[in-house]
Amino acid sequence: MIRTFKIDKSHAGIISESTLFKVLRYLDKEKIETPFLLIDTSIVREKISMIGQYIKNSKVFYAVKANPDVEILRFINELKLGFEIASEGELEMLSELKVKPERIISSNPVKSFKFLKIAASYGIKYFSYDSAEEVDKLARFIPGCNVYIRLSVPNEGSEWPLSKKFGVELDEALELLSYAKKKKLKPVGITFHVGSQCTNIYNWNIALDKAKLLWDKAKKKGIRLSLLNIGGGYPIRYTKNVIDIETIEKNINRLIYEKFPENVEIYIEPGRAVIGDAGIFVATVIGKAKRGDEDWLYIDVGVFNGLMESVGGIKYNYIVEKSKHTGNKKLWTITGPSCDSFDVIDSNVALPEPDINNLVLILSSGAYTVSYASEFNGFSIPETILI
Amino acid sequence: MIKFFEKAPYVPVEYAYDVEEILYKGKSKFQEIMVIRNPYYGKMLLLDNVVQITERDEFFYHEMLTHIAMHSHPDPKKAVVIGGGDGGVVREVLKHKTIEKVYFVEIDEEVINISRRFFPNVASGIDDPRVEIKIMDGAEFIRKRKASDIDAVIVDSTDIIGFARTLFTTDFFASIKNCLTDKGMFVTHTESLHFHKDMVIEIQEVLKKVFPIVDLYTANIVTYPGNWWAFAVASKNLSPREIRREVKIKTKYYSDEIHTQAFMPKGMYDKLMQRKLKW
Repeated sequence: MIRTFKIDKSHAGIISESTLFKVLRYLDKEKIETPFLLIDTSIVREKISMIGQYIKNSKVFYAVKANPDVEILRFINELKLGFEIASEGELEMLSELKVKPERIISSNPVKSFKFLKIAASYGIKYFSYDSAEEVDKLARFIPGCNVYIRLSVPNEGSEWPLSKKFGVELDEALELLSYAKKKKLKPVGITFHVGSQCTNIYNWNIALDKAKLLWDKAKKKGIRLSLLNIGGGYPIRYTKNVIDIETIEKNINRLIYEKFPENVEIYIEPGRAVIGDAGIFVATVIGKAKRGDEDWLYIDVGVFNGLMESVGGIKYNYIVEKSKHTGNKKLWTITGPSCDSFDVIDSNVALPEPDINNLVLILSSGAYTVSYASEFNGFSIPETILI
Repeated sequence: MIKFFEKAPYVPVEYAYDVEEILYKGKSKFQEIMVIRNPYYGKMLLLDNVVQITERDEFFYHEMLTHIAMHSHPDPKKAVVIGGGDGGVVREVLKHKTIEKVYFVEIDEEVINISRRFFPNVASGIDDPRVEIKIMDGAEFIRKRKASDIDAVIVDSTDIIGFARTLFTTDFFASIKNCLTDKGMFVTHTESLHFHKDMVIEIQEVLKKVFPIVDLYTANIVTYPGNWWAFAVASKNLSPREIRREVKIKTKYYSDEIHTQAFMPKGMYDKLMQRKLKW
C-alpha cells in the first residue's frame, strides 16, 4: 500500500529527503501497528561523525538516557563511542553489549548505593559529584576513583534547563575538590551542563569562564586538573533552524585553547544531538472533535507514552497523510490517547485536516521520548525500530 | 503573461515559466496532468506541477537515460521501460537496431494519451510493432516476470519520494536483477547532485545491496532543479563505462565521447559514497 503525505518546505528543513524516503518505504509495508519510533541509522552515524570533530583532544560519550533502546546502543557501540550512564539499569544494558569499563562514565552527581556497587565491580572509573556526601559514598564504594566536580552554570536559552537540581558555585566546588583529595579520590576535572537543547552559544562562554576560574583556584591549592567534561546541550532542529554543531564546537575549541593548558582532555556527553533528529514517531489519528471553537486531534501517542517533553515546551513538526480535506489547513490542539486532560501535546498547530486512521509523522522525536514513556492508562510503550 | 511556479519541498529554488497558453489541464487516477506552452521551451508536460519534459530540451534527458545502458550492452534485444509515459525513452530504445521487443510499462494511461496528443515527436515510438504497452505498476510487472531474458531495464519515474518510490526499493531492484540476462543493464534517474545528494547516495547504497556493479553518471538537465542530474546504473557483470558496440544511432547530445565523460571520476565517486563531498 502506497501512502501519500502532505510534504512542504517546512518539513524539508527538518527531515532530509533520504530519511523521509526510508520512512515512507517502511510505511509501505503491509502491516504496521502504531505508535512506533523509527530511527534512521545513517543520521545517527552522520551526527556521531560530526560531534567532537572540531574540539581537540575530545572523547564523546553518548548520554544513554536520551534513548536507551538496545539496538541503538548496539549500533552506537559499533561506532566506538563511549557511554554516559546514571543507573544500574543503564549499566546492565551496556554490560550485555560487553562495553569495556574504560568507555563508560557516570555524570549523575547523585548515585544510588546499588549503582555504585555494581559500577565498582564493573570497573567504571570516572564519576561526577557535587556534594560532600557523594564524596563519602564514592570513597566507600569505589576508593581511588576519578571524580569531576559539577559546576553550576547559567542555562538561559536552553529549552530544557538542568542547573537548579545540580551543580555548585565556585567556592563550594573548590572545597569539594579538596575534600575529594582528602578522601583519597582523584579529583581530575570539572564538568558543567549548559542545559539540554541549548540554542544560546554564549552559555558555553560563561561556563568555560567559570570553569577556568575554578581550574586556576584548584591549581593554587595544589590540585592539578586534567579533564574538562563539557556535558551535552547541542541543539537539534525541531521546528526551526538552530546553530550548527560546527559553529558551537569551533567556539568551544577556541575558548578552551585560550584558557586551558594545551593537553587538557575534553569529554562531551551528547544525547539529543546524537539520536534526536534521527527519530520519527509514527502515530495514527484516532479521533477528531470540535471543542468550542477549537479543533482537537487525537493521536495514539501522547504525553504519557512518548511525548513528555512537549509539556516542557518542546514543539514538534508534523507530517500528515493526505486525505480528501488536505487542501485547507486548520489550527489543531493535538492530544494523546489517554483519559488524562494533562495529555495535550500542543495547540495552535497548523496542519491539513487528516481523516481518522490516517498516519501522522512526528519529526525529530528520537530523544527523550520513548525513554520517558510509561504504560499509563494501558497504552503500551512504543517500539523503536532502526531503519 | 501568466507564470507557472514550480514548487517542490526538497528544492531550494523555485523556477518560474512564462505561460503563453494552457493547452491541457486534467486529473488522472494518479496525478494532475498539465500541458502548457512557454515561449522558449515550447510545449511542457507537468505532472503534479513538476516539469517532466519540454519540447526544446527533452532529448538531453531521454538520450542520457537510455543510451549509456544500451551501448554498454553488446547486443540488446529485449528492453523494459518503466514509467516514461511520454514515450521519449521508448523512442530512444527503438533507435537500436538490435531491439526486438520493448515492454512499455506505465501506471498512468492518461500520460500516454496526453503525450500522443501534444508531443507526437516524443511519443513517436509508442505504436511501433515491437512495443507492447502494459498499463500497470512497474514494480508488479517486474516482480511477476519469471524468465531472465531482459537486456535492459530503464526506469523513468517521477519524484522518488512520491508514489514512484516502489521503483526504488531493495525488493524491486532484486526482481530486476532476476529478470535481467547476465549481460543485462539497469538504469534509473536519482535526482540532482546539488539538491538531493543524500538521495543519490541512498539509491547507490540500496542498489549495491543487490547488484555487484553499481555506478553513477550525470548530465545537465536545465529544467530539472539542481540541473546536475544523476543516473544510477547497475549490472550483474558488465561495467557501464565501456561502450561495447559502435555508436551509429542519430542523437543530438549523446555520443561515444559523452558516454565516457558522463561518469563520475572514480576518486570523486568514492568521496561521494563516503559522504566526504560537502556542499
